[in-house]
Parts: sequence; structure tokens; C-alpha cells
Amino acid sequence: MIVLQLVVNGILLGGVLALSALGFNIIFGVMRVVNLAHGDFLVLAATFCVFLFTSFGINPLVVLPLTIAFGFGAGALVHYGLLRNLPSDVASSEASSLTLTFGLSYFLSGGGLALFGGRFSSVPFLTGAYQVAGVSIPQARLLAFVVAVALSALFALFLRTTAMGRAIRATSQHVEGALGCGVDVDRVRTFAFGLGTAVAMAAGTLMSFLVNLNIQQGVLFTVNAFAVVVIGGLGNYTGAILGAMILGLAESFTSYYLGATLAEAAPYLLFILVLLIWPAGLLAKRTA
Amino acid sequence: MKRAGQVIAVVAIALLIVAPLRLNGYLINLLYTTVLSVALAYGWNIIAGYAGYFSFGQIAFFGLGSYVTALIVVDLHWYWMFAALAGGIAACALAVPLGYVMLRLRGPFFAMGMFGMAQMVRVLVTAIPGTGAGAGLYLPPGSGITDVYYWTLAIALGSIALTIWIDRSAFGLRLQALREDEQVAGTLGVDVTRAKISAFTLSALIPGLLGGGYALFLTFIEPDSAFSSRLDLQAIVMTVLGGLGTVWGPLVGGVFMTQVAEVLWARFPQAYLMIFGGLLVALLIALPRGIVPAISARFGRRRA
Repeated sequence: MIVLQLVVNGILLGGVLALSALGFNIIFGVMRVVNLAHGDFLVLAATFCVFLFTSFGINPLVVLPLTIAFGFGAGALVHYGLLRNLPSDVASSEASSLTLTFGLSYFLSGGGLALFGGRFSSVPFLTGAYQVAGVSIPQARLLAFVVAVALSALFALFLRTTAMGRAIRATSQHVEGALGCGVDVDRVRTFAFGLGTAVAMAAGTLMSFLVNLNIQQGVLFTVNAFAVVVIGGLGNYTGAILGAMILGLAESFTSYYLGATLAEAAPYLLFILVLLIWPAGLLAKRTA
Repeated sequence: MKRAGQVIAVVAIALLIVAPLRLNGYLINLLYTTVLSVALAYGWNIIAGYAGYFSFGQIAFFGLGSYVTALIVVDLHWYWMFAALAGGIAACALAVPLGYVMLRLRGPFFAMGMFGMAQMVRVLVTAIPGTGAGAGLYLPPGSGITDVYYWTLAIALGSIALTIWIDRSAFGLRLQALREDEQVAGTLGVDVTRAKISAFTLSALIPGLLGGGYALFLTFIEPDSAFSSRLDLQAIVMTVLGGLGTVWGPLVGGVFMTQVAEVLWARFPQAYLMIFGGLLVALLIALPRGIVPAISARFGRRRA
């Protein structure tokens, strides 16, 4: 029975991880930038929700539109004001964008630490659970899962049906081709960075009532998103969902069977294993 | 010009050697921190600056070095410098197989892989019995700051000498060739794997040796101080500020940033990481090539 319970926990967590990974994926797809500040945006949103709940009793779901809007603005600004201005003549622009988001990650987590402090906290919200066939389904987890799936579906719909969505997909596939067809690539990138960050902060809002978080755990979520995207294949959104489920299950099982200390290392181990097993696929995609 | 440089170097080294005899406790501490930061920046510069592999996990070797030293000093009662040497050897012993595996990854995949690896090393090292896990480990008092300072100074000078050698040697040319284009370097007959792993191991040896001194300096280590993300970030900022892949970049960036860091740490301990992160972002945009290349471009010298 415990196995079934762990599976349910893993899948429910996987839904939110998938949402977070979608945001990471779109930024990588459109700009070939690994956003090391991704997890910090996520944790910042979660911490902000905890703050609003404990100080004013505001429900995280009410805050959701606000964090999404804020995430979009902040992400668009990061691209427009910072990444766009990186000199392109420096030896490796990939390395400088990576280093830039590395600095941004410390900027956000350090700022969050100064603002909110470093306590572990979560929103005590919907603490009840449904009992189905001997498996307990916590209401908060179920809610987070449902909202995450709904947001992911909206995201997919946006990419498929709107002009901006088409421009984003075109830019991910072939930058020069998109430019040739009249896509304003710079604008698409600013939009995509905004969208990716908005999705990260939405995932963080849901995380706020799922797990106990500390402001400095952004790295963990960046690694999680990276791992999910690597498992599923870059630019492959269906694959990302599968990857998120695998990671969610891995987290749920390792934390039960291996204990707290080793479970902390488990996501990193999985991440490195995945990187080492699929590097050829990754490189093939990158040179395409 | 060349003669003047040699004279300055000799005078500077002489001053650094006699400094502890004259300075008070605070200034020796500051001097130690400066020398440590410069040495860490030189370590990172080899793998990131010369070989072009941005490792965000070199602090793993620093942490490993400090824990190996601490365990040997506490359990086997060796003289600490031998223990610190063992820490450096342990870092190399880990770096060779790790490099063989991790250096297959490129670009952001390598950077993130090393980041994850550093977290894993941290968790695994602190899971060793006797390290006190998260609670930390006390070292027996005895060695003063002066010993630690000389140890660190020797490593810093050694890593500068190593970098000068790399910059002029065929090995350095091989590294720079693979940094610019790994496939082309391979077809030109560069043993790419060997060159990468050598650079990675040298880049691990330096923090590995420094870690032991740091453990003695603190006399108490716990995971957050041994695997300090602050020191990791600092080494990167200093190298980028001074000039990535240059001989004097880490020295200029390291000396300058340590003083800035000292002021920031004293005044804004809460916002320290935020300011440093923001500084890195600003630097990449305002001074992407770093101080040293900017100066040599202005004065028309070929390179610094």
C-alpha cells in the first residue's frame, strides 16, 4: 500500500515540477540560455505567498494572478535590460549568459534572504486529505496538481493557437529561418523570458502549500527543472511532462526509503546520471 | 619594462613574507582572505578561463580538502600541513575520474552537472561518520594564523607561477585551442580528453590544498563554511572582473574584490550575496572582458 501512496505523491508533485520545467524549457528553446535563476524566481514566489498568508491571511490562489503578472514583468525586464545587452563579440556568449543568470540567482536569493529571512516555511492551507482505496490524497497536493495541469494546458494552447506562440516555436526551431520570415526575434525572446519566468513563479505559488521551503533552495528547483527538461528532451513538451513524473516519483521514493540526508543528494544524482546517459541526444539537438 | 616587472614581483613577495611580523590581527586576517581569494580565482581560471569549461562546482574540492584535513588532524593527529597536502591529493584523486565522466558534457550541461556534483559531494562528505554532519567538527587549536597564511601564500604564488607557465606552454595552447573549438583542436592532433582532464585536475588541486588551511583558520568546520557558496561565487566574480583566461586577471580582480567584499560583508552582511550577485551581472554587461584586457588594450600591449 505504501508503494501506491508514494506513487500518488510522486505524480502529484510531478504535475507542479512539469509546470516549472515548461517555463525553463521555453527559455532554453528560444534563447539557448540556461536560466540558473529559474528556481530562485520559483522560491521567491513561494516565500512571498507564505509571507502574505502568515501576515494577512491571503489565500495563495488569490495571489496567483499577481505572481504570474510580476513574473512576466520581471522576466521580460531581465531579458530586455540585461541579457539583450550582453556583448556578442565576447569569446563565448553561452558562457556569459550562463554566468549572468548565475549572478542573478544570487541576487534574487540574497535579496529574498534579506527581505524574508531564511526560515523553512509553507502555507498551512487545505490540510485535509481524501481517502481513496486506502490511499490518502492530501487536498493541497491535489489542488496544486489540478491548477498546474490547467496552467500547462493553457500554456500549450497559447503556443499552438496564437501568433506569438507560433513565433516562439519558429524561433526555437531555427533563428535565422524565423528572422527570414519576418519574426521580430528580439521581441519574441523578451516575451519568452517573461513567459518562462511567469510560469516559474506560478509553480512557486503552488509549491508554497506543497512543500516546506527555504529561500535558498532555488538551486534545487533549477536543477529539478533542468533534469526534467533533459530527461524529456529539450524543446519536447510532452517529454517534459514524462520527465517531471519520473522525477516526482524519484523524489517521493528516495525521501521515504533513503532518509533525509541521502534523499537530498538523490535529485542531483538522478540529474547527473541523466546528463551522462543522454549527452549525445542533447548535443545533437544543440547543433541542429 | 620586463626588468621593472621582475623587481616589483620580488619586492611584493618580500613584503608579503615579512607582513605577518608587523601587522595586527585584523590586517593579517584580511591579508589571508585576500591571498586565499586570489588563489581560488587562479584555480577557477585554469578550467574556465583557459579550457573554457565553466565549472560551478570547484568549491567541492575546497570542501573536500578541508574535511580531509580536519578528519586527519582530529583522528590521526598528523601535523596539519601534511594533512592539508593529503586534502590536495584527495581532491586530485576525485578530480581525475570525475573529470573523465563530467568533461564529456559541454557548455551549460557541464556547468550544471558540476553544480549538482558539488551538492552531492557536500552531502556525501558530511555523511561520513566523524564529520559531525550538519553540526560540524572542531579542530584542535594550536596552529596560528601565521602558519596558515604562509601555506596559503605559497599556494597562491605557486598557482600564479603555474598560470604563467600554462600561458606560455604548449599545454596552454592546447587548452586555448580546445576552448575555441574542441572538434577542430581534436583534428589538429590535440589529445582533447587528456588536456581537459589535466586542466580540471589542476583546477581541483589548488582549492583542495587551500581547504585544509581554511579549516585550520576557522578551527571549526561545518558544511556551509567548507562548501561555501560565498567563496565559490567570489572566485568567479574576481576572475571575470580581472579578466578570464589572462595571467594577471585573477590577481587584479582578487585583490580588488576582496577589499570590496570586506567592506560589504562588514556593513551589509544580510544583503551581501545579493550585492555580489548584482555586481557580477553588472560587470558582465559593463566590463565583459575584465580589467586586465581593457588596460592592455588601452596601452597597446599585445596581452597582459
